[in-house]
Amino acid sequence: MTEIGLFTLAEQRLAWADQRQAVLAQNIANASTPGFQPSDLPSFARTLENVASVAPVQTQPGHLAGTSGGPLQPVTEKDAHGPDGNGVQLDAQLTKVADTETTQSLVTSIYKKYMSLFSLALGHSQ
Amino acid sequence: MDLNKALDISAAGMDAQTMRLRVIAENLANQDTTGSAPGADAYRRKTITFENRVDASTGAPTVRVKQIGQDKTEQTLRYDPSNPAANTDGYVKTPNVNSFIEVMDMREAERSYSANLSVLQATRTMLDRTIDLLK
Repeated sequence: MTEIGLFTLAEQRLAWADQRQAVLAQNIANASTPGFQPSDLPSFARTLENVASVAPVQTQPGHLAGTSGGPLQPVTEKDAHGPDGNGVQLDAQLTKVADTETTQSLVTSIYKKYMSLFSLALGHSQ
Repeated sequence: MDLNKALDISAAGMDAQTMRLRVIAENLANQDTTGSAPGADAYRRKTITFENRVDASTGAPTVRVKQIGQDKTEQTLRYDPSNPAANTDGYVKTPNVNSFIEVMDMREAERSYSANLSVLQATRTMLDRTIDLLK
């Protein structure tokens, strides 16, 4: 199954949507926290670039780990400032939430479709 | 799992906004509360501030109430010699609560609460969909 790139891709996209949802939830929960700056995950395309790049090997214990690859890190955005130094704009954040939800819905639908194609190939009736 | 973390974060956000609403209710209810002894201070408007702190049990940064403080603005004087709180000149200190500010703050708390609720619902739908993959 792992040779089929779609499943790996779907898994990565789902993980991305999961993590982004947590980041956005944090932004919205902190809409009234003084000095809070919202953050967001890098786009999924950027994430894929990281996966494709070659990670440096640590051959000595003193070597530092490379910065490419690895888990996704949220990036802090510095757009607008309210009087209290808070940069969260609820409308923008909620749009992102809706976007993440749509993405997740799309991925799960494709995943399901593929699975049903497999069961069709195996001769199971739907 | 990050979706569970997102649920916790949204719940904490709603909790914080509820607390904010409680403070607003307290301020509005005490809009006319003067002191009882002559020359005593009237009710002081309470303020609430939030902070983002890492929750030890979940490991997720969640919003919390940082402090419930007091509004330090001057209390205005009103001439009312019959009031038990009146000073020797007949003036009573009145609370520094401005109902317009409180109502605006209430609206903001309400919007913020429903935004958190929307995220919570979206997260739940996402969780449901992920679980549906097993079917």
